[in-house]
Amino acid sequence: MSFHHLDQFATVPSPITAMPPVGRLVGATSVAVGAATLPLGAWSEAAALGALVAGMTVLARVPVPLLLRRTSGPLAFVLLASAGLLVFVPGDPVLDYGWIAVSRPGVERFGFVLARGVIALAAAVLLVTTTGFPDLLDALRRLRLPRVVTTALSLAYRLIYLLMEEVERLLRAARSRNAGAGAAPRRRIAAGVAAAVLQRAFARAERTHRAMLARGYKGELATLTAWRWRTWMVVAEATLVGVVLATAVLARR
Amino acid sequence: MTPPLVDIRALGFRYPDGTPALDGVSLAIARGERVAVLGPTGSGKSTLLQHLNGLLRPTVGGVWIEGVAVEGSPALSEIRRQVGLVFQDPNDQLFLPTLLEDVAFGPLNDGVSPVDAAARATTILRELGLDGVGARAAHHLSGGERRLAALATVLVSRPVVLALDEPTGDLDARGRKRLVDLLRARGETLLVATHDLTLARALCGRGVVLYDGRVVADRALGALLADQALLERYGLESPLGG
Repeated sequence: MSFHHLDQFATVPSPITAMPPVGRLVGATSVAVGAATLPLGAWSEAAALGALVAGMTVLARVPVPLLLRRTSGPLAFVLLASAGLLVFVPGDPVLDYGWIAVSRPGVERFGFVLARGVIALAAAVLLVTTTGFPDLLDALRRLRLPRVVTTALSLAYRLIYLLMEEVERLLRAARSRNAGAGAAPRRRIAAGVAAAVLQRAFARAERTHRAMLARGYKGELATLTAWRWRTWMVVAEATLVGVVLATAVLARR
Repeated sequence: MTPPLVDIRALGFRYPDGTPALDGVSLAIARGERVAVLGPTGSGKSTLLQHLNGLLRPTVGGVWIEGVAVEGSPALSEIRRQVGLVFQDPNDQLFLPTLLEDVAFGPLNDGVSPVDAAARATTILRELGLDGVGARAAHHLSGGERRLAALATVLVSRPVVLALDEPTGDLDARGRKRLVDLLRARGETLLVATHDLTLARALCGRGVVLYDGRVVADRALGALLADQALLERYGLESPLGG
């Protein structure tokens, strides 16, 4: 696993990657929120937002199949959460398997929830595909997300790799001593590894904190990044947010 | 009379659980001196280094840097800039998403502007042969590169004292030679905590042996390494093959 694979299009020159990360974050969030809050049945507005995401994907030079593939992972959760709509929404049955019946309104509602999920998730995936994690963090800081949250995210980004290395080492060592063990011993090993990793994570956090203090840390993480807004970027950002807002308003009329 | 650059007086330290780590350690280190702090694992070497910039608070005694007491000093930030501490595990020291941010961390905390901090970080990375890796995360670096990167995070603040804790722990022969060459070419006062006597011999002129938190020997490194009985008594192995 590597977050660097996630943001592999962050360095591809495009109007999207030229935009300051805070602009990308605001744009993606407005599309995602706009899509997620569309009233049921606002298909044409959903199509407009979908076209907007597709357009930005092409502008960012991200292959559409790749975007859809990456969207499909988190989409599974949307599917899981909304599958109940198919059978629990009352109405004319379109499929009847005896004790389970799928209603027409259920299919429509399920389809719309799914469409909203695809658009919102695609916008989010496009954001992380075109924005490096450090830049994303910087954008969150500029949007006044509490420092404690951005600092925690920043350290977590690095710590997650260290912990994964620890997990791999511990599992390798455990496997080498327990080759051919049954399911129950393997579960015990996994529990032992989890406990050891937790313990090491605490020790690592303490040592890292000391290393930060040793280099003058006073409770605030300063940042190096300095992005410049240009006129076209402001216009593009305002247009994007305006289109999303207009879509949301139209959908409610 | 000019005070020693690093003055450690009757330093004692116990961990919160009561475990004694240092017991009456006294050392005076002059500017430009290169001192190897030797001793087996658990002898108190790392604990001693962490007292130099106030990361640990002594139970008794204290540490003075250029005549200024570290304990309770209002100038602790400046002392931490002057005493660059490189930790045993470079991963502890590389905690930000990119190497450039990690290296610029110290200068930014010292109030250097982002532009200047980035320029200083880029320069030091180039000096250490790490140009071109500033945008990478530490987990994408080799062990040797991480070790040098950890050194860069400290050198960028232009310390007067460089305190290195087991700096060759994860280095192969080539990496160790590169590190030795780099440190030899620099002018900082050096404290190297290690049980790697080959490294100590390559870098330092004076050797201090710590054992059970006490200083049991303090003399010219050549004489110390020639004392086979002393090395054996305190669990050290001579690089001279004796």
